[in-house]
Amino acid sequence: MAIDPSIKAEFVMPPIKKPKPPSLANWLASKFINESLIEEFFGDLLEIYQERISTKGKFYAKLMYWVDVLHLLIGFTSLHLFNHQNNPTIMFKHYLIVATRNITRNKGYSVINVLGLAVGMGVCLLILQFIYFESSYDHFHPDAQNTYRITQRPVRNGETIRLDIFHTYAFGEKVKETIPEVRNTVRIHPVPQDGIVVITNPIDSRRFFENGVWYVDSTFFQMFDFPLLYGSKESALSEKHNIIITEQIAIKYFGDSDPLGKSLKISGGSLSGDFTIEGVLKKLPENSHLQFDFLLPMSFLLTHYGAYVRSDGWGWQNFLTYITLHKPADTEGVTNKLDKIIDTYLGEKLAESNTVIKTGLQPLVDIHLLYDYEGGDRNNHNIWFFSVIAIFILLIAWINYINLSTAQAIHRAKEVGIRKSIGAYRKQLISQFLFESFLINGIAVIISIGFVFVLLPFVNNIIGKELEFTVLHNARFWVGLTTVFFFGSICSGIYPAFVLSSFKPSSVLKSVNLNPRRGFSLRKGLVAFQFLTSLFLISGTYLVYKQIIFMKNQDLGIDMEQILIVPGPRVILDGDREVLESKYQVFKSSLAQHHSIVAVTGTSNVPGKGAIWTGDMRKLGDPIDRDVLGDAVLVDVNFTDTYDFNFIAGGPFNEEMESFSAVIINEVAVKTFGLGSPLEALNESIILSGLDTMKVHGVVKNVHWSSLRDAHMPTIFGLEHSFNAHFSIKMNTSALPETLAHVESAYHEAFPDDPFNYYFLDDEFNRQYQADVEFGNMFSAFTALAIFIACIGLFALVSFSATLRIKEIGIRKVLGANIRNLMLLLSREYLFLLLIANLLAIPLIIFGARSWLENYAFRINLAPDLFIIPALVLALISFMTVSYRTYFSAKANPVDSLRKE
Amino acid sequence: MKTKGLGEFEELVLLAVCILEGEAYGISVKREVEKHSGRSILLGAVHITLYRLQDKGLLQSEMGGNTAKRGDRRKRLFEVTAAGMKQLHAAQDVRQKMWQLIPQLKPSL
Repeated sequence: MAIDPSIKAEFVMPPIKKPKPPSLANWLASKFINESLIEEFFGDLLEIYQERISTKGKFYAKLMYWVDVLHLLIGFTSLHLFNHQNNPTIMFKHYLIVATRNITRNKGYSVINVLGLAVGMGVCLLILQFIYFESSYDHFHPDAQNTYRITQRPVRNGETIRLDIFHTYAFGEKVKETIPEVRNTVRIHPVPQDGIVVITNPIDSRRFFENGVWYVDSTFFQMFDFPLLYGSKESALSEKHNIIITEQIAIKYFGDSDPLGKSLKISGGSLSGDFTIEGVLKKLPENSHLQFDFLLPMSFLLTHYGAYVRSDGWGWQNFLTYITLHKPADTEGVTNKLDKIIDTYLGEKLAESNTVIKTGLQPLVDIHLLYDYEGGDRNNHNIWFFSVIAIFILLIAWINYINLSTAQAIHRAKEVGIRKSIGAYRKQLISQFLFESFLINGIAVIISIGFVFVLLPFVNNIIGKELEFTVLHNARFWVGLTTVFFFGSICSGIYPAFVLSSFKPSSVLKSVNLNPRRGFSLRKGLVAFQFLTSLFLISGTYLVYKQIIFMKNQDLGIDMEQILIVPGPRVILDGDREVLESKYQVFKSSLAQHHSIVAVTGTSNVPGKGAIWTGDMRKLGDPIDRDVLGDAVLVDVNFTDTYDFNFIAGGPFNEEMESFSAVIINEVAVKTFGLGSPLEALNESIILSGLDTMKVHGVVKNVHWSSLRDAHMPTIFGLEHSFNAHFSIKMNTSALPETLAHVESAYHEAFPDDPFNYYFLDDEFNRQYQADVEFGNMFSAFTALAIFIACIGLFALVSFSATLRIKEIGIRKVLGANIRNLMLLLSREYLFLLLIANLLAIPLIIFGARSWLENYAFRINLAPDLFIIPALVLALISFMTVSYRTYFSAKANPVDSLRKE
Repeated sequence: MKTKGLGEFEELVLLAVCILEGEAYGISVKREVEKHSGRSILLGAVHITLYRLQDKGLLQSEMGGNTAKRGDRRKRLFEVTAAGMKQLHAAQDVRQKMWQLIPQLKPSL
């Protein structure tokens, strides 16, 4: 959708009545504060809020509102705790004091602990918000749970041929009439597939190419809840020449002035006409799979596009059909009835090709997550992958906590010894250390929420969506967060608590010689696990980028860098055909005169933009049940030259041939249509949809007409001399600005009423991989965070063991060890762990990479570099982490470490 | 930990309630205390203190009138009880007695 970036300006909104206090704060307060107190509190808060707004401004008022609410929350929830002081509360108070002393004493470790946990939880929350957003699609419609999109599958000889979401016009009509369970239906007809119309603002004659134009039934707003800023939902679509536009379009065409009642002119062949704006939609919510810019009444389409009403509306399948059921009815019963309708009206014709049509219902709320635009199953691995990453990151952070608190055991040993000798039970000690774990985790949770607010804009940048931290309003989220908090506090606290509370007072108080390697095997295991997850994430990032680079650099069989695409004229289509053809000739020949332009062709589609028609095709002479699905693209005689297609047999079209008389096909088509060898194929004809017959004129090598995600489709390039939806201009790009200027002036000369637009084919083609690039960016960002957390944990651990062994290092140094020996001594065990992690990671990586690559028809091979490069990267990072610390320990003067005794 | 005497802030709040005479609720008390003490106070602190004083039986309260300014919500109006009055007097007495015990101040240079 071509939306001008300059339309970001605020749309003129109806004035807001009164500033509302932060609803989230209110919600939070209402959850925790006694109901009988709420009324007066909210009253007071609102009063003071209004006052502050008028005196100190909105920001200050909002801020203070939060401060007040939090203060009340804390005040009124802890009031009772400290009202009655008994032993346990005093004890907890004491634990709190001890814990805060410990935190402040080891500031470095505490910061690492809290920071690691906070980042981990923050990432988790972000991912949770992302998942929440992804699964919130289309839930806001009035009866979303009972609304479905109808699909159909032609089944021939027991084999499903394809899945389709488009239906005939009459089908929707009959559905409503004959099925009692159906309460409402709506049909949507996007602009026909060649896609684009030109819309003109008659006042200042500004015009744009547009393709988000939908023709819809008047029931559209009964089923879908898109609020109108201006106009009424009941009448906005009632007249044939009404049009509804979105807020952004209103700004694009009319700026600040009121668009209501103004007119817009649509130019695009039989869909042309003048329309009056009867409604302006608020910016469409991003979490809807229905995205459009213009709505037009279905009645206009029907009277102006005769083909749809011919054969009683059962001829063309171009209508998306959605239904709402009265209540959660059994969908199977409904689909049976839908099947029956199709059988009644089309059964006879379908029987000729031995086909039956099976309908299906896709719940509206699942469409975004589970199905793609064509209606097929969508491989929604992203959500799954991100959930795994979130869990990994959280695990890494918890492991840091476990490692650091057990490593610090030696500092707490005396405390434990004394507590035990004055009568503490082990149970009490365990609860003390668990309490500390809860405290640290609790601080981390609070920081993590702030962290999300900071990071969200960056994430939005990466994924190209406008996420807000809306999940905070969801009660389930708080349950989830509390669960994670409790689970994490207990999981990360229980092991250190048991270790620390197990010390024997006699031994810890007698000597300082506590074995520092206590609990070391578990710690080693945990560090190895951190290495393992880091490796997995690094190699995932590496894999994603490698595949993207592979797709972008793959030889597509087409030299896209040299090809400029100019969308064909629309306005002129309204004129008569002979004028049109002569204008095309003028344009093409004026381009051909320029020395930098090698060739020009006009086609219905360009690579990366699909086909004009996808449907049943077969070899002429084959029985109808041999039909297979193929793509059709309409091209003119210069097509194969411009795109440098390599012929295996036959040759290019020539001027004398008639439109629709011949096709050039690709290798896959030869094979799937059963045409024998390429040379033999030249004697055959192809029959399309049981109607048109075209002779095979040439066979070309397979090219990547669409994204490398998809396998090669059998494709026919049919001859049409003047189907110029796009002009492809092959040029020498050395004097680009001058050539472009020439193209533009030639275009304006030939088609004075059309807007001029252009792009290079390679840019547009690579835009298909945008989703992959976004996935890669997000993946790498999270990987970086995970490694960061693991690294600070590792750093803390190494520094800790270095301080424990400071005497040992001093003595070794005195006896002659050099820095290199000592560094090796301190880092040896980590290198060993890294090696083990590497070995364990290999099968995991292979499994993960295989399942991800299955989404791509053309993909990279799994090569050893997938393990080697991540291993090297991680080795380098952890070596730097460890050596920084070990270097300083090894360099220290032994006098300093040995002196104190 | 039932403390007998009044805290300094508690005393200020109690006095403010007395001054306001039946018009005492969260915000008016906050304003009154701020006006006389010259320091800024959090609303929550006032609320917490009002309730603590009520728990101690020094204040009593009932729900009062609503205004549009408050989004049609009623306010809780506080009033000093006899016990509250007694406490205030007791506090003042203590101070008075102690003041009197201070040796006569000599005029400074």
